Amino acid sequence: MKTTFGALSLLFMLGVLLVVANPNYGLQFGLGGEEWQKYRYTDQYYIEHGVEEVGGTNIVTDIVFDYRGYDTLGEATVLFTSIAGAIALLRKWRGEE
Amino acid sequence: MNSQNNDMGLIVKTMARVTIPLIGIFGAYVVAHGHLTPGGGFQGGATVAGAGVLFLIAFGLSETKNRINKTLYSALEGIGGLVFLAMGMLGFGVVFFYNTLWREGPVFNGEPGSLLSAGYLPIMNLAVGLKVYTGLVSALFAIALFRRWKK
Repeated sequence: MKTTFGALSLLFMLGVLLVVANPNYGLQFGLGGEEWQKYRYTDQYYIEHGVEEVGGTNIVTDIVFDYRGYDTLGEATVLFTSIAGAIALLRKWRGEE
Repeated sequence: MNSQNNDMGLIVKTMARVTIPLIGIFGAYVVAHGHLTPGGGFQGGATVAGAGVLFLIAFGLSETKNRINKTLYSALEGIGGLVFLAMGMLGFGVVFFYNTLWREGPVFNGEPGSLLSAGYLPIMNLAVGLKVYTGLVSALFAIALFRRWKK
């Protein structure tokens, strides 16, 4: 009984979200609204100029490694730090064994 | 030391022996073609690391301990990060992360869509793939070695 109720309420919440987040008649976040392409022109810019400016035909790699290179640098630093921390925490300590 | 000989049976070992090279080749393809097809350094490195984890699961911890050189792996991870940073510093004449190899460099400036194109993108993909592979494998190896609760 409880499980059925929970599943039904989850389904109801999903339906409400589907209605609210619909781009046609739901909420519209941020700038734009009707004329969103006027304010969100960067994705169109990447699609048009990415291949000639960076060279890769995979636009996602162009963005990740060139346009947003600092972001990827920080991501690599986070990975390095987390692995170093995991190994430093999980290694054999001097007092044991 | 009997608790460390926890490898799987013959069937799993044989299947792992067959599939590990295929997974490794697919991951290397994803890394090498990161600037042309969907995928890239992170995804391909994680795929190759999946082959390493399959080896760890199928063949057990003691066999993996003989094969994996921990010092080499940590050194390779540092080298991957440094190569990534050096590729970003290559365009310091203009600005950080300037793709100078693609604009006027001697190599890696072929037709868009060929393998030797896109400037520093393939080198960065290789560096990030190496970094992710060695990092994930050494992290999971450390987690597998950590068994203080067995006492």
